[in-house]
Amino acid sequence: MVENPSGSSATGLGRVKTWVATPELRVRLGIRAVLMFVVVLFVYYVSTAPRFFSVTNASNVGARTAPGIIVAVAQTMVIISAGIDLSVGAILAFSGSLTSVAYCYWGVPVWPAILLGLAAGALLGCINGLIITKGRIPDFIATLGMMGTARGVALILTGGLPVPSHLTAVTLKAYLPEEIIWMGSGDILGFPAGAIIGLLVVVAGWVILTHTGFGRAIFAVGGNREAARVSGINVDRTKIMVYTLSGLLSGLAGLVLVGRMNSANALMADPANLESISAVVIGGTNLFGGEGGVIGTLLGALIMGILGNVLNLHNMQDFAQRVVMGLLIIGVVLFDQLRRRYGA
Amino acid sequence: MSFSLILRTEGIDKRYPGVHALDHVDFDLYEGEVHVLLGENGAGKSTFMKILSGSLPKDSGRIFLRGQEVEIASPMHARELGIGMVYQELSVIPSLSVAENIFLGRLPKRKPFGTVDWSEAMSQAKRILDDLGVDIDPGERVGNLGMGEQQLTEIAKALSTDARILLLDEPSSALSHEERERLFSIIGGLQEKGVAIIYVSHRLVEVPRIGRRVTVLRDGAKIDTLAVDRADEATLIRMMVGRELREQFPKEEIERGKELLRIEGLMVKGVLNDLSLSLHEGEILGISGLLGAGRTEFARALFGIDPIDGGEVFLNGRKVEISSPSKAIELGLGYLTEDRKDGLVPRLPIPANITLASLKKMCQLGFLKHDEERMSAEKYVEELNIHTPRLSQRIEFLSGGNQQKVALAKWLCCEAKILIFDEPTRGIDVGAKVEVFRLMNDLAREGVGIIMISSELPEVLAMADRILVMADGSFVAEYEGGQASQEDLMRDTVVR
Repeated sequence: MVENPSGSSATGLGRVKTWVATPELRVRLGIRAVLMFVVVLFVYYVSTAPRFFSVTNASNVGARTAPGIIVAVAQTMVIISAGIDLSVGAILAFSGSLTSVAYCYWGVPVWPAILLGLAAGALLGCINGLIITKGRIPDFIATLGMMGTARGVALILTGGLPVPSHLTAVTLKAYLPEEIIWMGSGDILGFPAGAIIGLLVVVAGWVILTHTGFGRAIFAVGGNREAARVSGINVDRTKIMVYTLSGLLSGLAGLVLVGRMNSANALMADPANLESISAVVIGGTNLFGGEGGVIGTLLGALIMGILGNVLNLHNMQDFAQRVVMGLLIIGVVLFDQLRRRYGA
Repeated sequence: MSFSLILRTEGIDKRYPGVHALDHVDFDLYEGEVHVLLGENGAGKSTFMKILSGSLPKDSGRIFLRGQEVEIASPMHARELGIGMVYQELSVIPSLSVAENIFLGRLPKRKPFGTVDWSEAMSQAKRILDDLGVDIDPGERVGNLGMGEQQLTEIAKALSTDARILLLDEPSSALSHEERERLFSIIGGLQEKGVAIIYVSHRLVEVPRIGRRVTVLRDGAKIDTLAVDRADEATLIRMMVGRELREQFPKEEIERGKELLRIEGLMVKGVLNDLSLSLHEGEILGISGLLGAGRTEFARALFGIDPIDGGEVFLNGRKVEISSPSKAIELGLGYLTEDRKDGLVPRLPIPANITLASLKKMCQLGFLKHDEERMSAEKYVEELNIHTPRLSQRIEFLSGGNQQKVALAKWLCCEAKILIFDEPTRGIDVGAKVEVFRLMNDLAREGVGIIMISSELPEVLAMADRILVMADGSFVAEYEGGQASQEDLMRDTVVR
């Protein structure tokens, strides 16, 4: 037989040529090449960044990314349950502000003030869940409303000023307690405390998602709500719990951030919503729910944190950094799509 | 009348990773012919249709249209070549009108600004629908139509580009008996106009009803093409399954035990009227009736999915309130949903799906017992003969029959004593059907009571110990097993 259009019996180089000639394989090789390029670029920038490999810088990155990681873990669970929480940043600011105001101005002792902040965060999350499930309002809308509300209440609480501000610190002798400052700036055996809290949250999130019935219910509700219901899973309760947990973790992230900044501020962590969603998406969790995990999210948050840090060390302008971060998100998701389509 | 060859394929071949989806398939189609394509799930029917309709590229092989070799590059190209396709899953857009659906993406335009010419669209749509012989208002929202009419809208859409070849992928699977008859007569009309039709089906009974020739695929390879009059059911089953299926319905006689479930006067306003029944241990109670008779609504109401407006339910003689599916499961009920997609989480692996309804049992202090979960999943994969490359495979990558078995395993796993099977054999192949029936026997022998809802009359007649016929939300007749004929059941549902 002379004719051999598929080239299946060609040998050696001929076979390689016909392979490369198929469009799918070309795309696949292309994907790998670009991926390699990006990795090399990343390694290059990291290794040439001045002072990147210093202990100070490493703890700096750890402490800086910790609140983001905590919020991203919460967001991961919400997104796996096929929801979205746009109020994480606002609840973070609200809880941080409430605890600070309670301690500095209302004279509440430190631990009750901390508990108050966390409980208030959980409560707002719970309200999110109730509105979504009992009021049958889309997750996006309910949490969008909560975003404005919580931020507004935080502004009212603080009067729009930092807590404590320079003025109040001088006149009222109002300072944040050591306990809260420790959460953001302290260390445990030389490791930044905030980073350790962040890692503990990741571990807890991983245990919940992979080793508990509640975690399984989150996947089932997000993967097929109707099937979950018919199988006896209480869909509403699962969603309410997920949002409550999200509020609680946002509150915790607020305390860590307040501790790092040494002051609370109703407008802090403004980009936290989108950053957490970015970390979740870069980490490979399906934005439509039903699949994903916190380990990917941790990597996503770290990639963003390290990249930001490296660009800082290279003295890149903050405005330009935003462009890089924006492109990173699109690039990562695009690669993921291509990889799935062509199996590279 | 002589018919000329309109379509011929030669050695169509397609591979997916690990699967030889189509193995050098030769096929031909004449004008005015209905050529039935039969095969089990995964036999390659849908792949073949997708290649012909341009939505999937072939690896090798050639396609000839009226003797001319063609490369069908895209669905658009297929349309230009006069090939229209109606997919297995309805692809109409419910929120748009019939006319908009028919002319989706190519609505007639008015000069000079390219705005839509609505009166032209409506009148053209009307003409196409009239040609089909169906009376549907082109301005109606598709979401307001019944399944059958939606299906007809799809056919009108496929024909609107002057298709001479029509590909129908299981068009009847979701239709009621009447709607199906209507579809057949419309297909007959198209045939007379010389349209050539490839008709993919699971339903053997349809073959002599509409086909001229039948081609059987198995594991991607063509087994044979036969004239319909030489293809009796037994032959076709043998060709599809590759072995002799001794019995299509392996019914076992099982001693009926004590009463498990009694329902008195169950009703949902406007949907279900005064439904009463009793179910015993080891009994298979068939519920037959047309689509829309209220069978699924009954199952959903009994299982606590939809609220009821009246009636009492007794389990083992004790009155119970079934207010939610979780309550139903707690009380020992199980519900295999009509659409298996409503019972499975496609992106979760097999074990997680199998234990979905027994999560509480699989947890200790809230923590999952992974070992126990894996062991029971292994047990059911083995027992139910679920074909999968590995235990952790996600449901979405299993074939329809295997998905159905996982959905079944879910209820076996939570040890349900009363099982409601809603269309347990829909969309699964002959071999898997027999396995499902065997399983029903096994369950009945262990004392489980089964309510079997089915549109497949032969299936209900063969498997049920007792049959209730449902129409307009009421039970209208009851038969002991073996005392009814297909005609009886039909008459009860239609003539009333």
